[in-house]
Amino acid sequence: MKVSDFLIRTAAAFEEKTAAIHLGRSITYGELYRSSAALAERLRQLGLDPGSRAAILFENSIEYLIAYFAVFMAELVAVPLDTSLAPENLNYMLDDSGAKVFMVQGKYRRQLDKILGDNLSLRLVVSDKPIPVADSLPPAEQILDIIEAAGRIPSLARAAASVVEADDAAHELAAIFYTSGSTGEPKGVMLSHRNLVSNTIATVEYLGLKSDDSVLVILPFYYIYGNSLLLTHVACGGHVVIDNRFMYPEVVLDSLEESRVTGFAGVPSTFMMALSKSTLAKRRLADLKYITQAGGAMAPEITRRLMDACPKQKLWIMYGQTEASPRVTYLPPERLTEKLGSIGIPVPGVQVKILDESGSEVPVGEAGEIAVGGPNVMLGYWNQPEATAEVIRDGWLITGDLARCDEDGYIYVVGRKREIIKAAGHRVSAKEIEERILEDAAVAEAAVFGVPDDILGEAIHAVVVLKPGNKMDEKRLQAWCQRGLAAFKVPRVIRFVESLPKYQTGKVNKMQLKEEVAPDSRESAGRS
Amino acid sequence: MATIDLDTAREELKAFIVEAFLFGDESEAFTGSDSFMGKGIIDSTGVLELISFLEQNYGITVKDEEMVPANLDSIDNLVEYIRRKAG
Repeated sequence: MKVSDFLIRTAAAFEEKTAAIHLGRSITYGELYRSSAALAERLRQLGLDPGSRAAILFENSIEYLIAYFAVFMAELVAVPLDTSLAPENLNYMLDDSGAKVFMVQGKYRRQLDKILGDNLSLRLVVSDKPIPVADSLPPAEQILDIIEAAGRIPSLARAAASVVEADDAAHELAAIFYTSGSTGEPKGVMLSHRNLVSNTIATVEYLGLKSDDSVLVILPFYYIYGNSLLLTHVACGGHVVIDNRFMYPEVVLDSLEESRVTGFAGVPSTFMMALSKSTLAKRRLADLKYITQAGGAMAPEITRRLMDACPKQKLWIMYGQTEASPRVTYLPPERLTEKLGSIGIPVPGVQVKILDESGSEVPVGEAGEIAVGGPNVMLGYWNQPEATAEVIRDGWLITGDLARCDEDGYIYVVGRKREIIKAAGHRVSAKEIEERILEDAAVAEAAVFGVPDDILGEAIHAVVVLKPGNKMDEKRLQAWCQRGLAAFKVPRVIRFVESLPKYQTGKVNKMQLKEEVAPDSRESAGRS
Repeated sequence: MATIDLDTAREELKAFIVEAFLFGDESEAFTGSDSFMGKGIIDSTGVLELISFLEQNYGITVKDEEMVPANLDSIDNLVEYIRRKAG
């Protein structure tokens, strides 16, 4: 079974059902299948070897979905690209992946020259609008023209009949997701059809998603969490409502209510923003049944505030990594209060171990590094066998996250291995300090990291965003930290800012914060 | 409260947007009615910086429910919003 088979199976069963809505436009499963199949036919005409890469640079949109599924139907490998990246970074990824096809949204046409650079490998550039390309490349084609010009495409019934069962999911490479990476160049995470299919099915299973479910998507599809939202809802026959306007939370909350979606997904900063800068707590949200949170550890205090603001919705705390397709664990909502702070238990079909430095499992209650096994573990990093060997050992993904397990098998993340700050001889968890800072009612967000220091080795720095109308100074917040933490864990420097720099995925860009303080520091400030 | 000169505010806002989000590159032209969101000029953290600029420079308080494109998403909208808020 391949990723595109989710679309084929669902379209065969629910041809007239809505697959996606975006700002007043919608597309049914039947239309999405036919559009993707038409584009796939054009891609096949290029005569590329199966497994050739097709890069996609589109914001979340109906066109993204058409391009995405077309790539798989044409036996190519999808390379979804981060639309917020500078042209030089995109150029790197195009070259690194060896993409032969580039599907790019018209709004990026001004940067196209820089994105393409000296690329001579591309055989086809496709867009939603007319765009100029260099003379050395074939003229760009438009998606709509391709769809209209398409010849006969396989009927849905015929396409659905050739779908094999999920257990036989193809081991071939399906997609390369570049991680933003905290050190050096981004790494291309290679995910197979089996990786994505198995993890999609597991996620649908534990969330209990059905064909009447729908999700408001504010997270980019090029981000593995956003990708999971898309695939899970296509797999169960539900639909996605796309809204790219979370910079205005009120607009998105209006969209949430008007679209009557049953689900909403966010990362910690989504909920911190919603809790401090929107009317979330005052909204009825009558149709919303569940909220999911992944994309980094959310402090228990924020989880509590979210539960108070949305008492009628099930809140699913989840954990994963791009390298794990992404879902590794989930916390059943009925145990959330009891196990607050936990990332839960392994998703169906996935195994989790907590290992010490020698690779042995630690006893219950002791901290070690999370290792993941199962059909969701990536094939490796694209063209980086050494980096792959550092994280995949005997088929297990070594995550870099430190955790302990309680007697019920519930896992608690202690911190990132790379976010352990070595201050004055002590190993200090940045996460623990962030959580303490967040417990102060005046604080909306906090980021903690270590900065090289001649005397301390590393000095603990904190950058804090206060809630509107609140005042705080460094000394008061340090005193607050001192009351809840050992003295050596109190941040040496606390800076207050209006907002934290973030990646497009919503994760805090600690590397940028660190570089603002210590421009020559190359040490990682945290994996994204 | 001192009366705000809206023409001056318009120029100040343009200068702020160019400096804060376009890295001083004035060649990235945008008109008074261009949507910041549509042109990708500002992201979610940028909106918070913009609000801080408004509150510090024009003595207004931006309420949560006022963080909407109609008030914030173009120079024209911002000027009109300041006019309404500053009375």
